Amino acid sequence: MKSQTIATDIELESSEVATRIWDNNLVKKLTAFGQSSAFTLGGFGILLLIWYIISKITTDALPGPYATLSVLWEMLKDPFYDYGPNDKGIALQLFSSLGKVFLGFGLGSLVAIPVGIVMGANAFCKKLFYPIVQILKPVSPLAWFPIGLAVFQSAGTATIFIIFITSLWSTLINTAFGVGSIPDDHKNVAKAFGFSTRRYITKILIPYSLPHIITGLRLSISVAWLVIVAGEMLSGGLGIGFFVWDSWNALSLEKVISAILIIGLVGLLLDRLFTLLEKRFSYAS
Amino acid sequence: MSYVEIKDMEIAFSTPRGKFIAVKNINLEIGKGEIVSIIGHSGCGKSTIMNAIGGMVTPTKGTVTIQGKAIKGPGPDRGIVFQNYSLLPWLSVYENIFQAVDAALQTTSEVDKREIVEKYIRMVGLSAHREKLPKQISGGMKQRVAIARAFAINPDVLLLDEPFGALDALTKGSMHIELLKLWNLDNRSKTIVMVTHDIEEAIFLSDKIVVMTDGPSATIREIEDVHLPRPRNKKDIVNMPEYKTIRERLLSLLMDKVEIDATDFYKGPKVELV
Repeated sequence: MKSQTIATDIELESSEVATRIWDNNLVKKLTAFGQSSAFTLGGFGILLLIWYIISKITTDALPGPYATLSVLWEMLKDPFYDYGPNDKGIALQLFSSLGKVFLGFGLGSLVAIPVGIVMGANAFCKKLFYPIVQILKPVSPLAWFPIGLAVFQSAGTATIFIIFITSLWSTLINTAFGVGSIPDDHKNVAKAFGFSTRRYITKILIPYSLPHIITGLRLSISVAWLVIVAGEMLSGGLGIGFFVWDSWNALSLEKVISAILIIGLVGLLLDRLFTLLEKRFSYAS
Repeated sequence: MSYVEIKDMEIAFSTPRGKFIAVKNINLEIGKGEIVSIIGHSGCGKSTIMNAIGGMVTPTKGTVTIQGKAIKGPGPDRGIVFQNYSLLPWLSVYENIFQAVDAALQTTSEVDKREIVEKYIRMVGLSAHREKLPKQISGGMKQRVAIARAFAINPDVLLLDEPFGALDALTKGSMHIELLKLWNLDNRSKTIVMVTHDIEEAIFLSDKIVVMTDGPSATIREIEDVHLPRPRNKKDIVNMPEYKTIRERLLSLLMDKVEIDATDFYKGPKVELV
């Protein structure tokens, strides 16, 4: 009983301290946010300046910021227009690309996570599969495109296939690492209390390796977003990569640069999304 | 016949540099309901002996039996409290205990299991903290969760690996009493084997204290029986002659030199004290 009251007292005190710290933190966070915003704006200012100078030097062979931004504005004003198979709004192109990325990435993750778990949990499987991963990982996913075409007889499916291949490696390696590094302490708990395999997987293996798996997913989707642009340049059809290539053929560098900005922003958002997930599922012991 | 019996046990590990003998020639008999402490210097294989009873390691020679039956791996008849609590950081206090109970007591109904968990959370006084994660509670509370988890599966033998090592002296004191309380509530029917560094702790809690020699190839140096009357009270027992005798004995077994003699003093240039 006595120890309980002492514990409550300590808690009360620490909650007061916590409020004070929190106030301080808010001020600190706001200042930090202000500072980082200023740096971001400053950086973009410099970039715009260099861009402007280069465009002046090349006598508008590279379109300047103003011309580009007005084209971008035109694109964003009507993002959903659809004038036939080769002329669609930027949002439709973007959604097509995102759809392919998520489909390929989803399928890839469905393969990579279980295989990664098996590799991490079993030394034999690790020895068996790891060399394959090491050889295939550095190959540019675009090299798989012809194989995709041959197998699926369809450029669209082949694009999804290369995204699938792209999404495998980082997820697989991170999952295997996460599962392989489960501390003996946790394993001993499972042993001592007679956890079934199912309970071990759902209560120890998955919760412990989830942050690692999500890091893998984050890296995978970043690369997938890089690869989709190149993939769509090869495959044609619909998508942001095709849009870039099509705009180049139509000699509209303004559209190309606008697309680059959009691709960058979407990539950033994807990364942030997975960073949030990472934070959500991380734990401190 | 004793309840737990260890006979001529040797435990060795194969390392890259050859066979490493952790403990050898271990003979130990523990009666039902006894509290036994294993004490010794770091690396003397205290935990190894406990892990052998727990079934976490297998002896390379000799036997370990409980009620005459050889131990084949861990089982729900033995509850373990690990050195560093070993709570699962992503589970709440309640879930940490429930998952262990749910896994260990397979024939009990869901409702009964929930009731058992409630009971032990209440017994260690953590009802108010049941939904908290391990990182949100103090070291003493974590230890209470670990002890509740081990008790809740209602084992016959309770194995405690330096359970109070990381706690401050005050918390440690109240944890000793909580442990004895739980033991009393079960009519002193549970056998407790505890590894410790702490001589006072060993005397206060135990019926029997096993003193180890230094490792590697450690073995039992001496077994001291503690005949202090129960229930024990910390303040009272320290003044009992028996307490002092055992304490002296343990100190002299564990430390070659109990006193600091003049030759140990600093012999540098003289400093004038003002």
